Amino acid sequence: MQSIRTAAVIGAGVMGAGIAAQFANAGIPVLLLDIVPAGSKDRNGLATAAIAKMLKTEPAPFMSARAAKLVTPGNIEDHLTRLAECDWIIEAVVERLDVKQSLYRKIDAVRRPGTAISSNTSTIPLQQLTQGLSDAFARDFLITHFFNPPRYMRLLEIVAGATTDPKITESIVDFADRALGKSIVRCKDSPGFIANRLGVYWLQVGVIEALDAGLTIEEADAVIGKPMGIPKTGVFGLIDLVGLDLMPHINASLARALPATDAFHEANRELPLITKMIADGYTGRKGKGGFYRLNRTGGGKVKESIDLASGSYRPEHPRDLPELKGAAKDLRGLLSSDGKYGRYAWRVLGQTLAYAAGLVPEAADDISAIDEAMRLGYNWQWGPFELIDKLGAAWVSDKLAKDGMRVPALLRAARDKTFYRHLDGRRQFLGADGEYRDLVRPTGVLMLEDIKRVSKPVLKNASASVWDIGDRVLCFEFTSKSNSLDGEIIALLGQTIAVVKEKYAALVIYNEGANFSVGANLGLAIFAANIAAWSEIDKLLSAGQQTYSALKYAPFPVVSAPAGMALGGGCEILLHSDAVQAHAESYIGLVECGVGVVPAWGGCKEMLARWSAGGLLPNGPMPAASKVFETVSTATVSKSAANAKELSFLRPADGITMNRYRLLGDAKALALKLAQNYVAPKPAEFKLPGAAGKLAFSMAVDSYHQRGLATDHDRVVADELAGVLCGGPADLVDVVTEQQLLNLERGAFMRLMKTEGTLARIEHMLVTGKPLRN
Amino acid sequence: MINVVIAGYVRSPFTLANKGALARVRPDDIAAQVVAALIERTRVNPQDLEDLIVGCAFPEGEQGFNVGRMIGLLAGLPQSVGGMTVNRFCGSSMQSVHIAAGQIQLGAGEVFIAAGVESMTRVPMMGFNPLPNPALHAMVPAAYLGMGDTAENVAAKWHISRTDQEAFAVRSQQHAAAAAQGGRFADEIVDIKHQGVVTDQDGCLRPDTTAAGLAQLKPAFDKEGTVTAGTSSPLTDGASAVLVCSEEYARRNGLTPLARIRSVAVAGCAPEIMGIGPVAASTKALKRAGIKMADVDVVELNEAFASQALACARDLGIRDEVLNIDGGAIALGHPLGATGARIVGKAASLLKRVGGRYALATQCIGGGQGIATLLERI
Repeated sequence: MQSIRTAAVIGAGVMGAGIAAQFANAGIPVLLLDIVPAGSKDRNGLATAAIAKMLKTEPAPFMSARAAKLVTPGNIEDHLTRLAECDWIIEAVVERLDVKQSLYRKIDAVRRPGTAISSNTSTIPLQQLTQGLSDAFARDFLITHFFNPPRYMRLLEIVAGATTDPKITESIVDFADRALGKSIVRCKDSPGFIANRLGVYWLQVGVIEALDAGLTIEEADAVIGKPMGIPKTGVFGLIDLVGLDLMPHINASLARALPATDAFHEANRELPLITKMIADGYTGRKGKGGFYRLNRTGGGKVKESIDLASGSYRPEHPRDLPELKGAAKDLRGLLSSDGKYGRYAWRVLGQTLAYAAGLVPEAADDISAIDEAMRLGYNWQWGPFELIDKLGAAWVSDKLAKDGMRVPALLRAARDKTFYRHLDGRRQFLGADGEYRDLVRPTGVLMLEDIKRVSKPVLKNASASVWDIGDRVLCFEFTSKSNSLDGEIIALLGQTIAVVKEKYAALVIYNEGANFSVGANLGLAIFAANIAAWSEIDKLLSAGQQTYSALKYAPFPVVSAPAGMALGGGCEILLHSDAVQAHAESYIGLVECGVGVVPAWGGCKEMLARWSAGGLLPNGPMPAASKVFETVSTATVSKSAANAKELSFLRPADGITMNRYRLLGDAKALALKLAQNYVAPKPAEFKLPGAAGKLAFSMAVDSYHQRGLATDHDRVVADELAGVLCGGPADLVDVVTEQQLLNLERGAFMRLMKTEGTLARIEHMLVTGKPLRN
Repeated sequence: MINVVIAGYVRSPFTLANKGALARVRPDDIAAQVVAALIERTRVNPQDLEDLIVGCAFPEGEQGFNVGRMIGLLAGLPQSVGGMTVNRFCGSSMQSVHIAAGQIQLGAGEVFIAAGVESMTRVPMMGFNPLPNPALHAMVPAAYLGMGDTAENVAAKWHISRTDQEAFAVRSQQHAAAAAQGGRFADEIVDIKHQGVVTDQDGCLRPDTTAAGLAQLKPAFDKEGTVTAGTSSPLTDGASAVLVCSEEYARRNGLTPLARIRSVAVAGCAPEIMGIGPVAASTKALKRAGIKMADVDVVELNEAFASQALACARDLGIRDEVLNIDGGAIALGHPLGATGARIVGKAASLLKRVGGRYALATQCIGGGQGIATLLERI
């Protein structure tokens, strides 16, 4: 059921264009309109330029090159009548009431009645926007406030007016959730809605308290970041990202709209330093720098930052402060400590939490909306009320009172309670009336965290757990650090296969970490190598190969459901699954060559099988091997699930889920579908080019080396990879089996593990997190 | 001995591989239109044709199936006309001319079409299944050496500086731009129609090229090297064709011969310096005709790379004013199999235009060869 088949976005600025791109990512044709630029030959120039710019932007607004073709550029003089074809019209023009209203009148004259119209305004109340417009217009109108960048930020704030038709709202909510992948937070028609109201207050407090306390920006960001579960950009880094020049506009608009009693006014102090920085062109990362900058004068690259006292740049200070060690585990300790960091942390967080508690019911109906808005709109790990629960509502209230700060009624009322609780496995939140209510997931959403709260794992060891997710489907969850793969996971996978065979219909491999899996645990590999425990490494390779093969040929369907990174061994699990249901933001790749080895849990074998069977390539032994060589030797990682299909990490029929919350539900549904009349796949057979093909690859790599694009050790690694992909000693008339390829993978891996170049790469990756180009 | 003449020359526009106007057109479709246009322009009676000889450097994929025969059928040649495909890499379609001339002198036919084609978009250089022989590679490591590497070797061995290469590239671009502006390609380029779109202009030319601009480019093949994309011929799509017949046939049928073939030659050289191949081949051809380079009024020397073209020009003593008068492959492009017929046809028509007596067309060939054709004005 999809109510929206085509859409239009008016206003081709950063937000409008980015919103149009997300429609295209969802497969929806979208019209992107802007004004006709004065004196320009191309009447669609603004929209055309916006699309062209997005194709060069990193991180990319489009998930695939194909998506970009779904955006049609146009202008509001020639193409307004085409709005009659659209099911949803989004206005994202300049934040001026008169401009918006004049556009609405034009839209109202051409649109089909019943078409949803929404504004992406972040500051103008809905009541003002619809004033004086037709009743029919007001019925179909709402605010949909996207966050920048629209592809990557999961939050969508929705404001429906008193006159908005609930059916319109529901159809937009449903579409934005399922097709655009957004998580909806319903807001009241109040200034700044929720996320920016609180977020801007928090940033402003963060800046002035740092100034007052005489902290450096590095210290401030370190205190506000990790200890509070806030991204390491902290306060100043985030302002750089948002743009310094935007801050005065947002502050002024909030100051105008908020009542004089609002605490925002106390924090809205004019800051001459920021005024000067903007005047000097230091507007943040989009410009030549902000609080932080990369000084390239003299051909160098020096990281610098602003000295808040003098206002001039100086070399950046280290950001890891020994005093903050353990603060993430003991936030209360940090907030209670009397040092300058403790005082700053408390001043900022205390005021922010108090302000958050004052937003119910003015900006939000309940606390869960505020927490969700801050988690998804500002990437906070915990929302403000979750933070209060961690600290204790009474503790926070008392400390606020002790320091002479305001204690909001909601916080006072909660003093002997928690804002969230679990009752019979259901998560509940504290309502403004003091009653607990269930947190209800949207229909079709299945979360492992909910299941884990009410059940015990079917199987479990130190690195993984297996959960019964109902309807005879098991879910295999990695629980190791960064979901890295080790012997424990391989062993538990083996046991799981036996259990599913006996009692269940299907297996889903899924977890709710930031990344599906970053690949094999390199620390273990280097440890084994350092004590020359080669047989241990070989044993783990062999166990992984056998287990992944067992997954593939098990008599039940296996569906993997990645989100975030699925690298190396994590990617190889996807390759051995019957099907994949991937989150749209999946970054999949065989990156082994980056650390000096080759995929050896069947990754080479499976990629060869895919490209050989695809029918997309010319005949002969080389094309499939070349494709795999190109992808694997360069450690290519997909930039989206759609891109992973182009690279054959995903099959054409694999599913893509836009909304992260819906991934497990979709994967389970796919597994159950496959379980009907399931037949395990047949092993592939290969015809590979042998020594001649290997020579062709090595000549290509030599040429890259000569051009300075491949390093010395790249040649060694690529040579081993080429050996595997060409079938080792096989002649091109031989039939190579899966087992023979697995043996070649293992042999190549073991030889590479014994080279200094590979050990140096692994060590470097473990220490720095970055690949070594040796 | 039977005199053999070139009695007509046409080519398709040459466009950049992968992004040019012909990227989506099959190579056999391009070549068939070129062959049909040659017949139309020369007014040769197709029933008289003995054979269509098509040069192609990577005759596989859409260039497979003995593409020479397929192009004949596509072009609507009578079924009685033969069709063959010749491969001598970049020298393929010059070899087509040589085969036609030899057949005529053997009395095995009076009139032939010698053509060439390459879509470097649709059939990649090295083909879809490059499978070099490891034993040969061990024995003669340079046998499969990349062309860019050979260009670097020639630059080093003949001391051709990067600045000289860039000046030569600018010269090629300027000559080609002037010729295009002056309408001097009009008599050779034929329209290529595909799905309602007509391509009638060369697509590789970069008339704004400057030495300063070229100096900014990174080396393309060796980080320490001197050869860049700007001093190399671009990957190109295109086709060309010349009409080769006996002088007697041309006279009898009222055709207009452009030039007579005086001598031809091929010669091998070390694979790692394949770019110098034209020196030995041209020397042989000149000697066979009993002519000195100083007597030659028009030279079409293929510009695979500026470094090798300059080395050959210096070793052969080619005067600047006779060399690549309408520009060369650095500007025009180099669709491998099509270049030989282009430069033979171009040399013949230039001879007519500038009014000289002798013209030389010559080119280097990957693997270490050169090929040359010496023409005389009629």
